Amino acid sequence: MSEKIPASFVPYQKKITPYLDGTLSANDRSEFEAFVATHPEFETYIQKRREEINLIKGLIPTVTMGDESRVELENEIRLSVFNLLKPEARTLWQSVELKIEDWLNR
Amino acid sequence: MTRKEFYQYLGPLSEKLYSFAHALVPDDLQAEQLVIDSVNAYLLKERKTLLNRKADLKNKKNIQLLRRTILKSVLRYMADIGCRRAHQLTNMRMNRYSEFTAFYNLEPEARMVLKLRYEAQFAVEEIEEIMQLARYQVIEKIHNGRFLIVNDLNKGVEL
Repeated sequence: MSEKIPASFVPYQKKITPYLDGTLSANDRSEFEAFVATHPEFETYIQKRREEINLIKGLIPTVTMGDESRVELENEIRLSVFNLLKPEARTLWQSVELKIEDWLNR
Repeated sequence: MTRKEFYQYLGPLSEKLYSFAHALVPDDLQAEQLVIDSVNAYLLKERKTLLNRKADLKNKKNIQLLRRTILKSVLRYMADIGCRRAHQLTNMRMNRYSEFTAFYNLEPEARMVLKLRYEAQFAVEEIEEIMQLARYQVIEKIHNGRFLIVNDLNKGVEL
C-alpha cells in the first residue's frame, strides 16, 4: 500500500468505500461519479476496494442447519406462533374451531 | 391475519434467522434458542398488530415484502437479545469455526452489522432500524469492523 497516489485522487479515494457501501449522500455520489467518469484510471482503486469487500464477504460465516435441526426449529417456531397468536374465543363454536386448528397443527 | 397465515410468512425464514443467530452466538443450540427467543419476543410485543393485519398470500410481491418486514422486525429483537447474550458468552469455544476467527473476534454488534450489510445486503437505513443505532454509529461499525477483520487476517498471514 506504499504506492504514490496522485494528490487529486486523495479526497475521492476516501469516498470509495462509502460509495460502494451506498452511504454517500446524493450530492457526493454525483460528484464522485463525475470524477470517475473524467478519470478512468481511478477505476483501479475502486476495483481494489471492491476486491477487499469481496474478501470480507468470504470471511463472514454462512451457517446452515442440518435437515433434522431445521425441522426441529420450524416445529418450535410453529408452536410459538400457534400459542402466542391464539385469538380469544368469544363463542363456543370459536373455541371448538380453535381446538381443531390447534390439533391439526400439532 | 390468522396464526396459520402468519406462519406461512415466518416459517421459511427459519434458516436465515438461524444464520444470523449463529453470527452472534457461535453454538448450534444457543443459536437455535436465540431464534426461538427472538420470535417469542416479537410475537408477544406485536401480537395485536399481527392479528389485525390482513394477509395477502396470493400476490408474490406482497408476500416477499411482508416477509422482509417480518424478518427485519425479528432481527431487531435478535440484535437486542443476542448482543447481550453474546457478551455473556464471550468465552464460548469457537474451535469448530476457526476459519472465521477474525469475524468472531469482533464485538457482537459489529458482527451483526457486517452480516446485515454484506451478506443480507440490507441498506444502512434498514440496519439503523434493526440495530436501533444512529446512522453514524452504523457506518462507524461497518468501517471499524471491516478494518479489524482485514487487520486480523493480515496478522495471521504474517505469523
